[in-house]
Amino acid sequence: MPDKDKPLLEVKELKKYYPLTAGITSRHIGDIKAVDGVSFSVGEGESLGLVGESGCGKSTLGKTILRLEEPTGGKIIYKGTDITTLDKKALRQLRKEIQIIFQDPEASLDPRMTIGQSICEPLVIHNIGDDREREEMLVWLLEKVGLEPNQASLYPHELSGGQKQRVGIARALALNPKLIVADEPVSALDVSIQAQILNLMLDIQNQMGLSYLFIAHDLSVIKYVARRIAVMYLGKIVELAEREALFGNPLHPYTEALLSSVPTLIPGARKRVLLIGEVPSPLNPPPGCRFHPRCPHVMPACRQEEPALIEVSQGHSVACHLHRS
Amino acid sequence: MQSYSRNNIILRVNDLKTYFFTRRGVVKAVDGVSFELRQGECLCLVGESGCGKSVTALSILRLFDSPPGRIVGGTVVYNSTDLASCPDQELRKVRGKEIALILQEAQSALNPVLTIGDQIIEQMKIHLPLSTDEARFKAINLLREMGIPSAEDVLNYYPHQLSGGMKQRVLVTMSLCCDPKILIADEPTTAVDVTIKAQVLDMFHQLKTKRQMSLIFITHDLAVVAEIGDRAVVMYGGRDVETAPVSEIISAPAHPYTAGLLECLPDLSREMSRLNSIPGMPPDPSKMPPGCTFHPRCPKMIDICRTQEPPLAEISKEHKVRCHLYA
Amino acid sequence: MNERKETAGKDRAAFHGGGFRLASYYWQRMARNRLAIFGLAFIIFLALVAIAGPFFTPDPTEVDFEAKNMPPVGFTITQSVYDIKTDQFITTRVSGTWKHPLGTDRKGRDMLAMIVSGARVSLQVGLLATGIAIIIGTIIGVMSAYLGGWIDNALMRFTDVMMTFPFFLLLVLIVFIFGPSLAFIVLAIGLTGWTGTARLVRSESLSLRTREFVMAAKALGASDGRVVFRHLIPNVISLIIVIATLSIPGVILAEAALSFIGLGDPTVPSWGIILEEGQHSLTTAWWVAVEPGIMLLLTVLAFNFLGDGLRDAFDPKSNV
Repeated sequence: MPDKDKPLLEVKELKKYYPLTAGITSRHIGDIKAVDGVSFSVGEGESLGLVGESGCGKSTLGKTILRLEEPTGGKIIYKGTDITTLDKKALRQLRKEIQIIFQDPEASLDPRMTIGQSICEPLVIHNIGDDREREEMLVWLLEKVGLEPNQASLYPHELSGGQKQRVGIARALALNPKLIVADEPVSALDVSIQAQILNLMLDIQNQMGLSYLFIAHDLSVIKYVARRIAVMYLGKIVELAEREALFGNPLHPYTEALLSSVPTLIPGARKRVLLIGEVPSPLNPPPGCRFHPRCPHVMPACRQEEPALIEVSQGHSVACHLHRS
Repeated sequence: MQSYSRNNIILRVNDLKTYFFTRRGVVKAVDGVSFELRQGECLCLVGESGCGKSVTALSILRLFDSPPGRIVGGTVVYNSTDLASCPDQELRKVRGKEIALILQEAQSALNPVLTIGDQIIEQMKIHLPLSTDEARFKAINLLREMGIPSAEDVLNYYPHQLSGGMKQRVLVTMSLCCDPKILIADEPTTAVDVTIKAQVLDMFHQLKTKRQMSLIFITHDLAVVAEIGDRAVVMYGGRDVETAPVSEIISAPAHPYTAGLLECLPDLSREMSRLNSIPGMPPDPSKMPPGCTFHPRCPKMIDICRTQEPPLAEISKEHKVRCHLYA
Repeated sequence: MNERKETAGKDRAAFHGGGFRLASYYWQRMARNRLAIFGLAFIIFLALVAIAGPFFTPDPTEVDFEAKNMPPVGFTITQSVYDIKTDQFITTRVSGTWKHPLGTDRKGRDMLAMIVSGARVSLQVGLLATGIAIIIGTIIGVMSAYLGGWIDNALMRFTDVMMTFPFFLLLVLIVFIFGPSLAFIVLAIGLTGWTGTARLVRSESLSLRTREFVMAAKALGASDGRVVFRHLIPNVISLIIVIATLSIPGVILAEAALSFIGLGDPTVPSWGIILEEGQHSLTTAWWVAVEPGIMLLLTVLAFNFLGDGLRDAFDPKSNV
């Protein structure tokens, strides 16, 4: 039995920089700091939401955790082992444990493969079962995600967006993983289909005891699926809290602005904080607190000193000079 | 709140039908849509992909690809002219000058090799008898009004130097330069981030209140409708299934589709343990189901829905619904 | 290596019948393009002629002394012939006969037979040289894209150098040094003509490599070999088919051009060789040059139409 207190996944000070070079000598002229020192943990059977605007590094973070991108620094500890140093062979074994669902169901399926081939590909790669067992597994998986067994011989172009995303989920489930990184799994779908997929993902989590790292830009979606939520801005986590605490009592000015910006069915429930300007480039993040050029509560300290992510109350951490004491 | 006067109808779309005649068959993208736009209001066309909301907007100015597209029925009456049947010359005078359209993709709507200034000034000089200097002056004022702080500098920028939110503002500025009476915006908030979305919505709100502009706002997001709309037309399968003031659409939806759409929307202002979802998926416009196009997904389907198109029923003077349950 | 083949075979076996449907989907898309169907029909016809034709026509090297410079059927020309008996030039009117439906040249060889055997030569040259170029180009392109880094750099600079080389002059040089042999011509065209393919395949593979399904395969633990053979190559094959179709006419024309300037293989009657001979007798026997010219024109057009049709059919963005 796994230890209840020990998190399944622990990320410590994770960094992912993309070096920027110029000229024929490939002179290093700077780094795009997509992820810049991020720490959090995901417990067994838990779903952690990761929310932020485009360019905040949330997708890069997701891919780095699977080592689809090589981390520049920091540690990713899965079940007590640091996976940043694993070799290719050990990494392949890790793929059985951590899986990913992509944003664009269209692009994430090989157009030249049938649905059945795509779903069975993980079984083929890891040499699990014989033909008959794979076929049984395929039927089971298709039913699990709400597709018909006879759809196995269809090609991606013969399915709708929602169906393709179901295939993506089935493929991720084939290896019976413990953790699924879901990278904006519903943002390309219509509203009525989005609800189907979200419900499906929640049902599967209940049945299989999975953990999710659920990445999205849509706070309404995050609120629906995640128990704990981390808010990212320019490569850093600015606030991390339980769902109720985050939505009921947002501490970071960015979280506050983000929450107030979401259009809701009952307008005026929250006083709107309109942010001025746009997200700065991750190549040249502002000094001090990265949010200070847009922050309505900016203080002199914010321009010089970078605030650390501090736990201010039970399970509620924030990186802001307003909440230092 | 509702500053528009009830009788001041500025545009009336009646039983509009736009079909696309492709080699694979007839795609009935818009199949009988009626609504009216009143002076100073924001009318939202809302629906999922393939419901015909964008084609409806394009049909008002006949801007869809033709061939294969053709308006096969209905009228679009503006200033006692039927835009659906009038000669091209007459329509060209309306386009941009009386009715302006902002397309969905802010990225591709601007010419990448011309500066913002060139594009705005050119647009102005086509329709208005202005010198370059006058046009420039007017452009700077308009950009300021749209909340662009350093307007003089922006005029010298190329599109790639602007962020998504800025491009959206520039596009709106361009569409406003001839003082149109009606502005049609096709999904202006779809591809932008939440904080930028709030800025864009705010800008449209300003247009409505300060300029008394009549807006047709196309979106798939009911929450956006709730934020900005006065009245809304819910579309499904090429038809207008429900037309009502936004508050009524949100609080008392009549059509099963509208109700379903609301229930499957995760929303910050509501507590919910589990989302309801509409089973199945939106129909393929080239293979619309017979009868009511929603009947295969409808939880309240009755026999007649399978065969007969529902008529437009009036719940109240302001609330109309196309459903057999109310007929 | 062996294991990969085996597993690839297995997962294909489990879901048979799919490949055929995919092919028929692309066929339906292409069938909407009438010009492409015309091109395909003409190419099939040409291939049949090239394969079976020589069994039905006389030997193209056979000379009919009785009938020199005969026009095609349906044409009549005025000829002045040297008559031995009277030691005079006499003017006669000559009409085409069904014995030589396309006429004969000044040596009395049957044009139909020459055109038919020329079709065989031209198609052979086109297919073989393109085949060589495509294989080299694909290997270099995929390797360059997938391995990246300095290998990519080295391969692409090599491609650049090859591209800047004046291709036709090189051909002329090779033929001049090694003598006009058809095998050399094919090899020379094949070994120099892969640069465009390499570039296109590389850029396509680069964009495929960043596509999510390739990343998904990696996330599932797929090896590099599996990613290349199961995901990259099947997805660039459509592109390769299009490049091949579009580059065949270029090769056929290159061979014809070489022959036309007198550097063709004189022992093999390709269309270029016939054309070259025809240009000397344009005033007396125009058909000798015109007939292979028309065949070249039609063949090049047919391949181009087919190539365009295939490209549109394979392109998921084009809405045919």
